[in-house]
Parts: sequence; C-alpha cells; structure tokens
Amino acid sequence: MWGRLGAMLRKEFNQLLHDYWILFILVYAFTGAIYVAGHSISMEIKNYPIAVLDLSQSRESRDLVALLQPPYFKLVAYARSDAALVKLLDGGKASLGLVIPPDFSRQVRENRGKCQVISDGTLSMSATIAMAHVAQITAKYGIKMLEQQGQLTRTMITQIPRVDTRIRVAYNPNITSSWFTSLLELMNIITMISMLLSASAMVREKVYGTIEQLHVSPLRPAELFAAKIIPTTVVILMLSILSLFWVVKGIFNVPLYGNLVLFFSVTAIYILSIASLGMAIAVIAKNIAQVAMMLLLIMYPMLFLSGAFTPPESMATWMRWASLLSPMRYYMDFGFQVLYKGNGLMDVWYDVVGILVIGSFLFAFSVWRFGRSIR
Amino acid sequence: MTARVIAIAHKEAREFLRDPIYLGLAFIAPVVLMVLFGYGLTMDVKHLPIVFLDHDRTTYSRDYMDSFLHSEYFSPLGIAPDRKAADKLLRSGRARLVIDIPPDFSRLISKQKPVQLGVTVDGSFPSRAQVMVGYVNGINRLYNSRLLSNYLAKSVRSGSTPAMPVSVNFSVWYNPSLESKNFIVPGMQVIVLMLFPAILGALLIVRERETGTIFNLIASPAKRWEILAGKAIPYITVAFLDYLITFAMSIFLFKVRFIGSFLFLSCAALLYSTCTIGIGLVFSVIARTQLVAMLITFLATITPAFNYSGFLAPVASQDQVGQFVAHLIPATYFMDMVRGTYLKGLGFAFYWQDLVALALYAIVIYTIALTLFRKRID
Repeated sequence: MWGRLGAMLRKEFNQLLHDYWILFILVYAFTGAIYVAGHSISMEIKNYPIAVLDLSQSRESRDLVALLQPPYFKLVAYARSDAALVKLLDGGKASLGLVIPPDFSRQVRENRGKCQVISDGTLSMSATIAMAHVAQITAKYGIKMLEQQGQLTRTMITQIPRVDTRIRVAYNPNITSSWFTSLLELMNIITMISMLLSASAMVREKVYGTIEQLHVSPLRPAELFAAKIIPTTVVILMLSILSLFWVVKGIFNVPLYGNLVLFFSVTAIYILSIASLGMAIAVIAKNIAQVAMMLLLIMYPMLFLSGAFTPPESMATWMRWASLLSPMRYYMDFGFQVLYKGNGLMDVWYDVVGILVIGSFLFAFSVWRFGRSIR
Repeated sequence: MTARVIAIAHKEAREFLRDPIYLGLAFIAPVVLMVLFGYGLTMDVKHLPIVFLDHDRTTYSRDYMDSFLHSEYFSPLGIAPDRKAADKLLRSGRARLVIDIPPDFSRLISKQKPVQLGVTVDGSFPSRAQVMVGYVNGINRLYNSRLLSNYLAKSVRSGSTPAMPVSVNFSVWYNPSLESKNFIVPGMQVIVLMLFPAILGALLIVRERETGTIFNLIASPAKRWEILAGKAIPYITVAFLDYLITFAMSIFLFKVRFIGSFLFLSCAALLYSTCTIGIGLVFSVIARTQLVAMLITFLATITPAFNYSGFLAPVASQDQVGQFVAHLIPATYFMDMVRGTYLKGLGFAFYWQDLVALALYAIVIYTIALTLFRKRID
C-alpha cells in the first residue's frame, strides 16, 4: 500500500509544485493578499467626511467646528448655501452636514444654541456611530461654553458629579483593525484554497480523461483519495506558517500569545476537513466551471455564518443554529481565542470538537461518495 | 464580420445551455447569496453579554447598572463575584465586556465628585469593540447628563436656565429609518455582479485552451476581437439577467426603498457587467489552466469587492492602500451609483461622469484582453 500511495503522492506533489504559476499565486495569496486585506477597515469611523454650512461666522461657531477633528472627522468643505450642502451630501462627498444658524452666537450666550446635523443614512451603521460622536463633541463644547461664560468655574467643573469611564480594550488595546482583518483573511484564504486545490486536482483528471487510468490502476479509492488531499494539506499548512510569521506577525505586528503547536495542529485538521469537502464537490462536478460555481455557493454561506460579519450573539435564531454547521465558525473562534487571548485547549475544546465532528463527517462522506464514483 | 461574432456567440450560448448544472448554478448561487446576506447580515451589534463587578453594592451602583440593561444592546450575564471570575468570562468569550464599579462609587457621587469607572472590552473583533466603546460612552453620557442637570438645577447661579448651551437636532436623510437592509441589499447586488460575472468570464478562453478546442478558433477566419466579443456577449447577457433577478428580489422580497430611475440603473448595470466579465476575460487570456484563472479571479475580486468597494464602510475612511484598491475596481463606482439611485433618487444628470468612467474602464479592460490574446499555438 505504501508503495502505491507513495508513487501517487509523488505524482501529485510534482504536479502541484512544478506549476510555477500556481506556486506564485499561492505565495501571493498567503502574503500579498493578506497584506492588502489587512489594510482594509471594517466599520469604525475614521476621517468621516463632514461639510459645514456656517451662517453665523462667529467665534462660537468656529470654536464648534474646530472640535470636529480627525481621527473621527475630516472637514471636507464649507458649503456656501443650502443647495451647495445638499449637493455635497447627494454626491457622497460629505456624509454629515452641520448647519449653524445665523444667530448662533447670541443663542449660545443665552444657553439655547441650536444647530442642525444632517446625516447621510445610507450606511446606517457608520451614520449611527458618527452621530454619537457629534453628540459627544457638542456636549464637550457646551461645558466649555458654560465655563467661558463664567456660569461654571474651573472648580465647579472638577466638582461636577460625573462618571468617567476608563475603557481598556483587552487583546487589542488600540483597536487596530489590521490585527483582525489580516488573521481573518488568512483563515479565508486557507478555506478557499484548500477547497479549490483538492477539488481541481480531482476534476482535472476527469477533464483530461486520465481518471480512466486511475480506475484501472491497482490504487484503492482510499489511497487515491489520500493522495489527492495530503499534498494540498501539506502545502497549505506550510504557507500558513509562512504567512502567520511573516505577514501577520512580521508586518502587522499582531502579538501571538497562544500555543502555536496547538494552533497549527488544529489548522492541519481543519485543512484536511475542507479538502475533503473539496473532494465531495469534485465527485459531483463534471468540469472546472461547475466546481467554481459550487465553490462560491458553499464558501460564502460558510464564511457568512462564521461570525466574521455578524457576531454569533447578534445573529437571528435561525442563523445561530445554521452557523453550527459552518466549520469556519469553530475555526475562527478557535484561532482568535488561541492566538489573541492565549487560551489553551481547556478553553477551546468546544471548537476543536466542532471541527473534529464536522471534519470527520465531511471526510467520511466524501470517501464514501468517492469510493462509489470510482467503481 | 458581425456574422462571425453572432456565430461564436451562438456557439457559446449553446454550450452554456447544454450544461444545466453550470447554467443553474450561475442563476441560483447569486439568489442564495442575496437571500443569505439580505436576511442575515445585521450590522446592529446587539445582545452583547455584559458582566458587572459591583464593589459598591448600593442603590447608586444598581441604578447605574440598570442604565445598561434598559437597552437591547446588552444582555446581562450577571454580577461576577471577583475580578478573576470576570476575566475568565471575558477570556472564554462568554462575556464581551466587564464593568467594574469601584467601592467608593456612591460616596463620591453623593459628594459631587467625579468617579473613575473601569470598563474592559473584548477587542478581538475591532469593529465590535468600537461599537461597544460607543455604546458604553453613550449610556454613560446619558447617566452623566442626568447627574449634570440635577447639579445645574441646584448650583448654577442663573438657576432658571439649567439647559446646556448647545443642543443638536439630528436629521437623517436618504435612509431615514436607518435600516441596514437599505444599504446591504443594494450593496449585495454590486458584489454579486462582481463575483459571478468575473468567474464566468475567467473560464471563457482558458477552458478552450485546456481542452484543446481553442485550435478550432485559432484555425477559423474569425479575428481576435470577434472571438472575444462572441464569447463575452452571451455571458454579459447572463450577468444582466442576474442583475434583473437580484433587482426584483430587492424590490419585491426585501422591499428596499427605491426612488430612482430603473432605466438609469439598468444602463449602469449593463456597463458594469461588461466591465466585470472583461476583468475575468483578461485573467482567462493570461492563465494557462482553469485552476490558475480561477485562483487569480477569486483573489482579485472577493476581498476587494467586500472590503474596498464601500460596501460596509465609507471609502473615505480607508487608508491610502485601501483608497488605491478602491479606485482600481469598478465596484466602487457602481456602488455609488446604486446607492444614489436607490436611496437618493439621482440619475443620469448626476452620474453621467461615473457612467463615462465605467465606459472607459470597459474600453481599457477589453483592450488589455485583446492585446494579450494571441491567435497562436504555444
């Protein structure tokens, strides 16, 4: 058995490693693509474009506008008229419009200053966060004004009863989004490439007709199956190690606290499971085009249910249940817990069991289907 | 000349129609994606499990904790006995934030003094962390303004005007109810029309090359541009049908607010589909095997479309690398037009420049494909 399997493995490794195009793309996928993805932001508000229509042109209005500063806001334009402001908002040049009325200065002195904020609600999430920031800034401004007017003295300000929150963000103190996006992209790439490589390794034999040769060879289905998924697993595991140290840790400076042996062992099991899923696709598909479509059909729901977009606790009930079927959900939770929080097997056993159960099922199912299709 | 384009298009269309699995998937997969994201993707971070550490144990501290529980943003896990237990909950992911109320909380408040409160937020998902910080600050601000107005009523000299000097009146345009489906569903249309056409286009040439049938085309009198046009046209049609299906879904199934011009959106969608098929076509011409074509296409379309097109966050908030990528992909331009049409009711008059940009994009991409496509045996 080892002789046959060994020969077949050698052939598969050769096929994979002698295609320089593929090698080049694989290396790019695990380095360049992750570098690019790490630069994307997810949702937080940065340089939110804001336009001001200042009808007051007073010291008070300028003081208020001066508070709308980066990193949250970026003043993109002073509108000269209502129409100009509308145009800026329509065109998406500004997402927030601040209108300061002509008698703002007097209003503020009389403690009844009113200004208007028009928010582009298209991206509702960002709009909500931006409006919260504005509310916070105007509250700060209000205190400052009270102080300037002498209604509040310095000592009174320090005596205002208030609760100061000292917020500490654990595991990612500066909320650096690249820490998250780079690792998430690595997991996406592992999932996508594992499925794609194993599926195409098998379908290719069908397309070229070389499957007939394999049928008449003394190879057993299990050996053929193993020969198709082992090279994928080995190559992707190596690339993941490269990527984690070189890109995730090296470029984005993500501190990796966890047990890396644990991480890579479970990653190997995960790759094997996903590669088995790829083989199941290959059994059904007749050509690469069908593989591509099925892959998209399977990969997105998996990614979507993984919790990367919507955290599991915020999902609708049906979705939370459905997410239990996505191996990526366990793998993501596992990866972030181990690498970011330094959690050990005791904390993540639930995820490991999930990956093992789904993985064994996928493995058994595709071996079974594969065996039937070979006969 | 056009007869040859039609002949090749006809052949391509028949090939496509005779692969019912491929044909079916090309229409079903976009629908599945729309349903999944349309119903499932909520950007509203809600029901965050919260744990309190109450070292004060007075009505003041309970009152403060209550202010967190009146919203649907948080769901309480209870009060932890000590710091260690709270940290453990946070570490295991069962709790997302811990609020630590100090022992002198009520004493300081009743003495009109500032209190320092410790909040620990799970930062492993940055966007979620950001939202949580926002919620905590918001709720805390409400609590403070209650304290402040009590205080001002008591101690400010002009006792009759305890109000803050400035108040802000917020109005939300274009999506007044701030419903996330109004931006997610049209956004998904843009994404779907990027991913699927690109992969359809990516297999067009390389499939023939890999199976050897490319020789028929090479030996035929058809010119290079006729081959590319004949191959692209049926798939642009498929992509456009995908657009019509997803549009119908967003209007009738998801009931997204649509106040713009259907005609304008359709023109833009046709141009956009031409671009995305063209992107795939370029990869198809470059690649030697279908696997390579597929890999390049996935890498070049999926992440940029989701992360950089302005789907979930404004392009303006991206850093320089992000903005650069955003301007390389047609999805960014189409995203603007789609949202502008759906929610702002803008049309030809406003977006003619973007339409021209898309048309130029199409010309450039097909020129690249044509230049790289050789009628030669290698």
